Formats: sequence, structure tokens, C-alpha cells
Amino acid sequence: MVIGVEKRGRVTVVSVEGSVDGTTAGELIASLRGQVSGGSHQLVGNLAGVDYTSSAGLRALLETVKDARQHGGDLRLAAVRPEVLRVLELSGFTSILQVFADVDSAVASFPA
Amino acid sequence: MIGAEGQTAPSNRRIALVIGAGSVKCAAALGLQKVLDREGIGVDLVVGCSGGSMYATFIALGINVQTAEEMTRRLWTSELTKRRHYPSLLRAMLPQIFPFRESFGLVDDRLILDRLQTAFGTRTFEEARIPLYLTATDFHNGEQMVFSSGKLVDAIRASIAIPYVFRPWPIDGRLFVDGFLTDPMPVGVAIKHGANVIVTLGFESPYQRRTTSVLRFAFQLSSIMSNNLLRANYAFHNLAHHTEILPIIPQFRESIRIFDTHKIPYVIEEGERAAEQQLPYLRRLLEAQP
Repeated sequence: MVIGVEKRGRVTVVSVEGSVDGTTAGELIASLRGQVSGGSHQLVGNLAGVDYTSSAGLRALLETVKDARQHGGDLRLAAVRPEVLRVLELSGFTSILQVFADVDSAVASFPA
Repeated sequence: MIGAEGQTAPSNRRIALVIGAGSVKCAAALGLQKVLDREGIGVDLVVGCSGGSMYATFIALGINVQTAEEMTRRLWTSELTKRRHYPSLLRAMLPQIFPFRESFGLVDDRLILDRLQTAFGTRTFEEARIPLYLTATDFHNGEQMVFSSGKLVDAIRASIAIPYVFRPWPIDGRLFVDGFLTDPMPVGVAIKHGANVIVTLGFESPYQRRTTSVLRFAFQLSSIMSNNLLRANYAFHNLAHHTEILPIIPQFRESIRIFDTHKIPYVIEEGERAAEQQLPYLRRLLEAQP
């Protein structure tokens, strides 16, 4: 798994490449947790490079969104591939997370 | 960890295969099983619900894919719903003359029972090569019932007691309806029995294109409820446990209706394709230390 972090104003874009499963989710959680504890509470998860997520990936997303919202921010998802979106839908995640077609839209959804 | 072909899997993971509701689409489980067999990945337990109960049973008994496909074609045809259960109709329409009974079902279920008996005879859970768990719902208190012993025919008949269609099924003085009413994808059963890697395959209930009868109206309401139940339960199990849950979600370009058994080869093929896509992750997971 490759994780990239980019600042766009007050929004932090975390781009993930690879699969998010039991063997890689720990790395993702550590990275996202680090962003929130470091003061970045407006997060965009760019999932364009994620081709699979298991339950471990869902737990990582939920932990981060709860953490970010507790600090007045949010985690929003962008560019989710259909195969990953299906898992998010099956598990009801699309009802608690905002999903955008691309990173620009997700970044723009946060108040300036 | 003994697989369908007696392999010993190279890790101490405990793998479960959970086949949820979905009628003929559940035949995709045979494609998934083909991939697991070919890759030498053994399964430690199999859980089935509703339509998935038949395929879970085929797999647990070690019935090969081709035979399972032939058995499904003989067992699950549209003839099953052709004959009405007139006593139920009369009891529904004229309850003051014909007192209503809870053993209500619009379809005469003798044919489905005959076919289940032809397919599975007197075979029991104890004959399964892989531990098998089939779910149904207690009609009186709504609790999930997990069958793991006794006659397979009874458990499958209870698990597929589709509301309004097939009568609830009595076993040992209790009355059971379809397993999907408590959990269309009973991941919790696998967790309870110690699985730490759970491969799931199940489907949302289709919505009616046109609501042209009372029965279609009832099916539509049933689909709305069961699909929301599926998502809620699936989310709960994904988040509440540290078990690794790997969903296999075949994509069907063609519509698959409830008795489209002639499309089973295609359904199996899509199940195989979906399983192959997730194989790298499953392999990596099994190779990693738990």
C-alpha cells in the first residue's frame, strides 16, 4: 500500500493506492490517526487507487471519520472505484460518509 | 483445516464461507468454491441462509460443482410455484368460515418437499465433510435458529420458507420461516463458531419492476425490509469484530430471476470471476500471521 498526503488549503488529501485489508489497514489507520492528531481535521480520502477493501478497511474509515468529527471536521471520500463503492453500499457506509466523484469536488465541499 | 478435497491449508486461520440469501444467484457460490478448490484453500465451516442453504449444503457434503448444478436444475424450477395452496387462500379470504392458520403459504409446498427429499434424502448434518450451519427464523419469537444437526431436508425447507409463498415449517414443535428474516447474510454465525476469516457471498433482494398484484406488493415490502436488514447487520459485523470479512460480489450483466436455473452456468462463471478478483487478498491474508 502506498499512502500520499497533500495539503490543499485547510483540507488534507490522503491518497491511498493498493488494497485495504487486514494486512494493510494498520498502516492506513496510523497515517489517518496521525493527520487528525496533528491538527488536520478536514480530510479527503482519495480512493482512486484502491481496488479492494475488506472489513479492516471499513473499520479504518469509521475510526477516522469518528475521530475527525469529534474535532469538528470530517472525512469525505473521493473517486471511489465501483468495486469498492459496492462494499461501502453493502455495509451502509454511503449513508454515513459523503462520497464525491473526484478529489476537487470533495475538497470544495468543505467550508473555505 | 480440511478442505473440500482434503487439503491442509498452510495457516492457522479458521476460514468460513457464508452464503446468504439470493435464490438462483447463490449458485455463484459454486464458482467461488471452484476457485478455492483449485487454489487448495480449505474451508473450516460453511454457513447458509435461504437460497444459500442449498449451496452451503452441496459444498459441505463435498458434492462437486457439476453435480450440484444438475441437482439445482432438477430441484429449483418454476413448477414449484405453479400449484396454489387453496386452503391457505380460503383461510386468507374467508377467515370467518375457514379459520386462519399460521401455517399459511400461497403455494402448495408438496413439490418442493418431494424434490428436497429426492436431492438430500435422509442425509444429516453429521454426514457433512465440512461443519455446516443453516439458519431459519422462529416464527413465534423472531429469533435466529441455527441448525447444525438432524435431517438436512428439514433445515433447508425451514431456511427457504419464503414468507407468503411457502408455509412455515414445523420442527420439534417449533415453527420456522425463511432465514433471511433475521439476517440475510448470517456472518454472526461464523464468528460465533470461531471463524477469523469470513468469505461472504449474498445478494440484495430484487425490487419489483411493476407492482401488479398483492403478492408483488408484499414482495416489495419484504425486499425493502430485508435489504435494509442486510446492510445494518453487515455493517455491525464488519465493525464490531476484528474478524476479517471478505465480500465476494459477483456482477451480473444479465438479470437473474428467481427460477432462472438455465442461467446457472453463467451465474457460476460470474461467481468464479468475482472470487478470482479477490484471490490475491485472500492469499495474502492466509500467508500473514494472525
